[in-house]
Parts: sequence; structure tokens; C-alpha cells
Amino acid sequence: MGLLLPVAVLIIWFVVTSDESMPNYVLPSPKEFAIVFWNFIFGGADASPYSGKMLENLQVSALRVAKGFAFAGIVGIIGGFLTGRVPLLRKIVDPTVQALRSVPGIGYLPLGMVWFGVGEENTLFLISLAAFFPVYLNTQEGAARVPELYLRAGRMLGAERLTLFFTVIFPATFHNVVVGLRLALGISWAYLVLGEMTGVTKGIGAIMMDGRMLGHVDIVIACMVVIAVTGKLCDWILMAVCQVFAKRLMEENSDGR
Amino acid sequence: MEDKMYRVEHLKKTFQSANGNRVQVFHDLSMDIQKGKITAVLGPSGCGKSTLLNILARFESYESGTISIPNNVGVVFQSPALFPWLTVEQNVAYGLKRRGIRKKERKDQIVKYLQLVQLEEYAAYYPSELSGGMQQRVALARTLILHPEVLLMDEPFSALDPKLRVQMQQLTLELWKELGQTILIVTHDVEEALILADTIYVMEECPEGIRKKIEVPWQEKCDLIRNTKEFFELKNSLLNN
Repeated sequence: MGLLLPVAVLIIWFVVTSDESMPNYVLPSPKEFAIVFWNFIFGGADASPYSGKMLENLQVSALRVAKGFAFAGIVGIIGGFLTGRVPLLRKIVDPTVQALRSVPGIGYLPLGMVWFGVGEENTLFLISLAAFFPVYLNTQEGAARVPELYLRAGRMLGAERLTLFFTVIFPATFHNVVVGLRLALGISWAYLVLGEMTGVTKGIGAIMMDGRMLGHVDIVIACMVVIAVTGKLCDWILMAVCQVFAKRLMEENSDGR
Repeated sequence: MEDKMYRVEHLKKTFQSANGNRVQVFHDLSMDIQKGKITAVLGPSGCGKSTLLNILARFESYESGTISIPNNVGVVFQSPALFPWLTVEQNVAYGLKRRGIRKKERKDQIVKYLQLVQLEEYAAYYPSELSGGMQQRVALARTLILHPEVLLMDEPFSALDPKLRVQMQQLTLELWKELGQTILIVTHDVEEALILADTIYVMEECPEGIRKKIEVPWQEKCDLIRNTKEFFELKNSLLNN
């Protein structure tokens, strides 16, 4: 059922580009696009500057996402648990975080350019900042809402402090952490493109900007498809990792060793 | 000679409500809990009996008084409070693992206690896959397996339907006979108190505390007690004042 919509879009695309009324530089036909896309990935079909360049640029982009996402994830989870479980800390930190959050991520772009210049660091700054909020907020929400009854049960059965955290609070919050991480990963890709559009030489976003300036709409669309597929793939990988981790975590709690 | 009972003496508890008022829950509450016996605290809701249990379980503080119950108490809550991310077996293993019991020994213990609550076939299930009564049996197993000095039960069967409640009461009696466990049960159900307990403390509404202490007259505890004249008379006298 999920394929219904893409197929429909493809048909409409065929129809709109079937006569000469739609110029190539606005929207290429599916056939032309397929050739450009193929060439972008594997190279060889013609000698465009993008020939066979997909993988190396995707690697650069993926590494940036990984760095920014990891930073946001680690800081967000730790911060979320701390403010979720320690009311005093929440009272001190939360108003500031909420205020910062009300500025949309894109609003930090000019400041990032001043502080980090255009390029690598600025991109990482934007990704980390934007991806931090969903992880932080979801973790905090979950950690603050661990039922008192679970904590009492855990203490009654002999768990205290760190043990209570790892065997009760963390497992009870884990679902929220995963939700936050998934949102954050999607956002990471969004801000990657924003960051890369502002002046790096390598990366999918950079190619998109380059393609736009040189009038290669086909390569712009190709980059969008690459991001869509990679984003979905990343989500799957994240989910799989989380599931394995959850399973390990739960088993370790009770029957490992 | 070792003391035959745990004592709670001159317990005072005041509760700070959200609007700043101080509400006295009880000002001078004393009771004995006989070792190896079942003691019931019977009273209407809002009489402070759950607060009493929470104090004995060290979940809540109190202002003054003495409690001779050791730290090692087990609690069965009103709702099962199992960890939903662990299987039945893992839930029962939780406390043992916290005490550093080895895996091999854990396994034997878990099998034994799951058999006691008749759930050995459900070891690999998750709590959400079990009925409310079965979950409460898992809660019993995970607490009893730790051999608590006193088992505190906070209206443990009040959420179950009447038939199941009677079954759970019988199971509790069987476990008590098998293990010789000291039990304190808090309930608002007169019949439940009469069926299970050796000694019943009747509580008044706040802040009166305990109004009277009743020793049940029959020697042997079993479900057939329900049909005796003594039971009816005692039940009626408890219900009527």
C-alpha cells in the first residue's frame, strides 16, 4: 500500500513531461532523470561533473550527521534524565532551554556563520543544536513520569541509587528515549542540508546547491531522492540498534551474568 | 528469649496537604504484629491504613513513635506493580539478583516459587499477557522469594472480582501455612480480614487511629469458616459499628 502514492506521482510525472510544454531545466522527464541518477551513482554514462560522485559525497554527509546526532543524543539523554529526575535542576535549566528552543533552528544559522564560519563546524553546530531538543524533551518527559509505584517496588526489592536507575528508571523511560532519537535523526538530516548549502565543497547538500546554480534540476532531485532513501535507511538502522539494545538491557537486568 | 512480636508504639503522622493544611492521620497508634501469624488492619477508606502500611514499608516518614520491624519487609501493592519490560521469570528474579544470588540457585528458587503460585507455565510471559489475578500472584512470588521478615499487603485483592478474590485469599492462606510467613494485610473488606487474620485491628476515620483489637475465636483457618454462626455474628458486629 505504501507504494501506491509513489507510483501515482511517477505516472503524473510521465504525463506532465510527455510533451514539450515543460522545459527540461524545470523538470526533466522520468527517463532523463533515471539516466542522470544512474550516472550520479555509478558514473560512466556521460562526463558530467557529478558522474559517479554520489557515494563519496554521501559518506561525507553521513559522517556529519553521525557526529552531530551522536553529540545531540548523548547530551540530550544525559540532560533529559538529570532534569527529569531532579526537580531542582529542572527548575534551574528548563526555562532557559525552552527559551532557546523557541528560536527555530534556522534562526541560529547567522550566528553559527559568525562563530564557526561557513562550512564543517557550522553544519555540525546546527545539527547538534536542532537534534538536541527532541532527545532532551522526550527523555525528560519519560524520566519525570516513571510511576512512583515502580520506584517503590524497585526499592522494596533491594535496588538503590544507580541500580534503581539502570534497572527501573532507564527501562521505564527507554521508549521515550527512542522516540526522541528517531525525531532527532530526521532533524539531523534536515539541518545537514541547511548547513551544507551554506558553503561546503563536499556533501549532498553542497551538490544540490551546485546543481541549482548550474541549472541541473535533475541532479537536485537526485540528491533529494538520495536523502529520502538514506534517511529512511538510517531510521531502520536506529530502530534495529535500539531493539537489540533494549533486549540486551532487559535480559541483563534479570538473567545475565 | 526472642520476642514473639514486632511492636509499633505511639506512632504519630501528620500529612501536609497541597493547600498547606496540616492533616493529622493518627496521633498515637500502637499495635503488635505477631511473628508467624496474619494480622489485619481493617478500616474504611481515608482512615490512614495505607499510610500506616507505607510507614512500615519505609516509603513514608513519621514524626514520632517506635517501630521494631526490621528493614527487610516485602510489599504486595494494590496493583501488581510488576515491571512490564521483564518477563514473569525475570520479575521474580529481580530481587534475588539484587542480592547477588547466583544464576543456578536463582533458577531453582524461581521454579519453586512459581510453582507455589501455580504459574510455572507462564515463566516466559510478559505481565501484560496475564490477567490481573495472575499478575498479583507473580507479585506475591517475587516478594515471598526474598523471605521478608514481614509481608505487607495493601488491599492486594480489592481490584479483583469476588470469585477471584476468594481464590487469592485461599492461595494466601496456603502460602502462609507452607512458609510460616508473618503477614500484615490492610483491607476494607470485613470478610477478607476474618478469613485471613489471626488478629484484626479496626481503625477509625482520621485521626482516631485504632479503635479495637479482635482475636478471631477459631483455631484453624479455612474457607469453610464462612458458613459458621460465629463468623456471621462477628461479621455483623464489625459491620454494624
